[in-house]
Amino acid sequence: MSGSSRRKRKERAGLLAANVFLILLCFVVLIPVLYAVSVSLNAENSLLSSNFSFIPKKFTWNNYRAVFLEEPVLRWLKNSLILAVATVFISLGTGIPAAYVFSRKNFPGRKVILQLLILLYAFPSLLSMTALYRLLTPMGLLNTRTGLIIVYTGTMAVFALWNMKGYFDTIPVEIEEAARMDGASNIQLVTRIVLPLAKPTIAVTAMMVLIYVWNEYIFAINFMTGSDTYTLAAGLYSLQATEMSGSWPIFAAASMVVSIPILLVFFALQKNMQTGLTSGGVKG
Amino acid sequence: MKKILAVLLCMGLTAGMLSGCGKSGQQDSKTDAATITIWHDKEDEVAQVLQEELEKLEPEVHVVLEKKSDLTEALKVVGNDPNAAPDMYFFAHDKIGVYAEMGILAPITDIIPEEELNRYMDMTLEAATYKGEIYQLPIYYETLLFLYNRLYMSEEDVPKTTEELYAYMQEKTKGGHYGFVEQHSTPYYAAGWIHGFGGYLINEDGEPGLNSPETIQALEYHKKFVDLMPGETEYATVNTLFNEGKAHATIAGPWLIPTVKASGMDVGVASMPVIDETGAPVSPYTGVQGIQVLKYAAENKSEAVEKILRQLMEPDIGVKLAQASGCAPANEACYEMEAVTGDEVVMAMKETAENAVPMPNIPEMDVMWTVAGNLLTDVNMSGKDVTESANEAQKEAEQLIESMK
Amino acid sequence: MDNKKKKWTEVVFSYLWSAPSLILILLIVIFPILYTGYISLTNMNVYHWNNYRIIGLENYKNALLVLDNGFLTALLLTVLWTIVNMVLQLVIAFLLASVLNLKGLRLRNIYRTLLIFPWAMPGYVSILLWKTGMFNSQFGLLNQWMAKLGLEPVRWLGGDVSAFLSCTVVNLWLALPFMITIIDGALQSVDKSYYESALLDGAGWIKRNFYITIPLIKPIIAPSVIITTFTTFKQFDVIYLLTQQVGAKTGANIHTILTYAYEKAFITNNYGYSSAISIIIFIILIAFSAVTNMKPKEER
Repeated sequence: MSGSSRRKRKERAGLLAANVFLILLCFVVLIPVLYAVSVSLNAENSLLSSNFSFIPKKFTWNNYRAVFLEEPVLRWLKNSLILAVATVFISLGTGIPAAYVFSRKNFPGRKVILQLLILLYAFPSLLSMTALYRLLTPMGLLNTRTGLIIVYTGTMAVFALWNMKGYFDTIPVEIEEAARMDGASNIQLVTRIVLPLAKPTIAVTAMMVLIYVWNEYIFAINFMTGSDTYTLAAGLYSLQATEMSGSWPIFAAASMVVSIPILLVFFALQKNMQTGLTSGGVKG
Repeated sequence: MKKILAVLLCMGLTAGMLSGCGKSGQQDSKTDAATITIWHDKEDEVAQVLQEELEKLEPEVHVVLEKKSDLTEALKVVGNDPNAAPDMYFFAHDKIGVYAEMGILAPITDIIPEEELNRYMDMTLEAATYKGEIYQLPIYYETLLFLYNRLYMSEEDVPKTTEELYAYMQEKTKGGHYGFVEQHSTPYYAAGWIHGFGGYLINEDGEPGLNSPETIQALEYHKKFVDLMPGETEYATVNTLFNEGKAHATIAGPWLIPTVKASGMDVGVASMPVIDETGAPVSPYTGVQGIQVLKYAAENKSEAVEKILRQLMEPDIGVKLAQASGCAPANEACYEMEAVTGDEVVMAMKETAENAVPMPNIPEMDVMWTVAGNLLTDVNMSGKDVTESANEAQKEAEQLIESMK
Repeated sequence: MDNKKKKWTEVVFSYLWSAPSLILILLIVIFPILYTGYISLTNMNVYHWNNYRIIGLENYKNALLVLDNGFLTALLLTVLWTIVNMVLQLVIAFLLASVLNLKGLRLRNIYRTLLIFPWAMPGYVSILLWKTGMFNSQFGLLNQWMAKLGLEPVRWLGGDVSAFLSCTVVNLWLALPFMITIIDGALQSVDKSYYESALLDGAGWIKRNFYITIPLIKPIIAPSVIITTFTTFKQFDVIYLLTQQVGAKTGANIHTILTYAYEKAFITNNYGYSSAISIIIFIILIAFSAVTNMKPKEER
């Protein structure tokens, strides 16, 4: 019995334990989701039914059909997509250069601004809703997508700057210096060297902004006045908000419909999020 | 990097494609004098009837009925902005004080002469009046009803008094079944008990009455009923218990009836039990549902607004609503028609409404829902001392009303 | 001379590049806060929506009356909430991310995706699902399972402590995916050669983590951790929707400063007054961040 084979066996046992643990964990984590799935597919019971089983006894697509046919879900989806894309573009477009200089340059006011920014992030934008409302109204931005995009980008700009700046800090400055020696301009430096290295943080930040816009409902409900202009989250909220009309199975189905696009985007971006710095071979 | 961009572009493209399916004629309709936007938050059956009735006005007047679930908050925010606000809204009468004070409502009498409104029941007009002006055209009213499941409770079993109800609850509440459930810690539901004792949440002068001896007595008496009800008290739990046959009786709004009928229940409607100690029945709030006109629309689109109001004044609509969703019409003329007088639910509501108290429509009521809700939660669920909690709640209500000004 | 000029161009360059972002923030975040400050000095409310006037510090006087014991309790609870949640989040996310990074774990991407699912659902949807699907004392899965085990049903959201714990569970459920993703990414950036030499030195798992992993990932995750701390601090939906929603209160007496302020100020429709409360909260936040000294760490 050599030491290495004993170690291998131990490793294999550890992996088995890890797999069992993770499978159990995934199941536990997903219980509320499975619950909603089951409710949305079940023909006979409501969400509150007292005899619940994860596998529907009588299967139906009717709730999903109702979501797509009776509610303007496609229009909500469109609104959400437009808002999400615009917000992601603007907050990353402005955030990346800002995060870069805040990470790389030392200029007067930098520290103060950074401290101020985190404070601003801490202040719930909900508390300044009256003010925002009164500022948007005279500009005719109420009940428009532009108005919502403005509110969302403002909230997420702080987050984007901070989150990406922190990551840029961990990228060693030496490669940039080398490139600069070779005569690269600032823009080239960022697009050719920094951005590829910062892919994970850009992906995560984009994801966070996207999710924020996707899930935000309070501003959407208050600043958009017609159900035509609702986002998915706002529409979904209005589906269950009134006592008399709340239909839980349809609500459950709609919540699945809302979640799936985010999951798809997540799949698409997952590789980027996980690519560590080491793959660039620079850490150290 | 490219991937991120690709995903974003993909989403953008999808959005572009989707925009093909919805036409975006929304914005220009706001200025069109013949297009009227009406917000409401009603169940589909009611909306359907309104839609059908108002479609009769086409093509002269085009009505857009929009379901807006948090209508009351939204109106506070956008009520002043003609671009974002609706032209009219359909809701209970209890918010007219707030909006009248905000200056966003036009009195109905600006458009319809007051004499013509006398065809409505006095109670509904009273509810629609704030500071001497009528702000609502009443359509129907609703009040809570005593509902029971005939499978468990026969007509003779229906408790006439609250002590009978208590005895029934003691006997039947076991093994996952409840004799009776209600949303005991929601002010709208608890108010019936408080009124039955002669107490009130707030009077016409805007003075809260949470620690009056009557209110305290009501809270104390009501507690023993609460002990035989489930811990959760919100709408979904209470109504599901009833709907699924786990609770034999409940106090609920007429809007629950279509749902329970659809699930196959033989549901009975009875009058409210009489409180033994006072001899008065449990007297819930009534809400008068009707249509309100926003100032901007009254000034700029008065013709179209008048047509709509006149259409809604037809007795027809009351009858149709009664049939569709058991709404009790506000128009007296409806009660001469067989279709209405033959409706058990509507007539039960009319009977209950005789003792019921119209919801206060003063702005101060706005804070009372929260404060009274907290008081009920403290007393019923956290088991705090009634008098002490009531005094605290009263103080808080006074303070909040003070800070409204 | 040349040096000075170079420095000057650096400064201009820096501000030029960050200008779009900073202007955006100035207009959309800072200006409304200043405007909130202005509103707090007026008597703007339902009765005076357009014809308001400046009334000075009147609103603050009233607001400070409200900031009684209840507010202090809420403040303490908010701090407790933030600490408990952050500690649990960091520890659990670190452990899970470590497991996910085990060598030879083939299905790691599937696990990752599944564990991320809570992130994809709108927050309030998940919260309502938890509330009715899990915690409801009549129909909730938890109590259905309790019944199967022959135990008495529990009112999970009823008592203060159990409600706090339930809220924490839901908040963890909502927040862990982000933290796991961040730490997971950070762990992958750690050069594996460090471990090899540490293994040769015979360092155990705990030692390796404390002396190698944690110091290495700390700078990478620090900004996200700070941001999450504030997100937790200002969490409203979880506590409000689970326990304090009007009409569905559960009897638990837990308030954060936000739910407290909401109940005490925002229902009055007195915008001057509620703005005063907002500004006071802002000042508390300033004090809070000054005390905890959460200033950005300078790594370079």
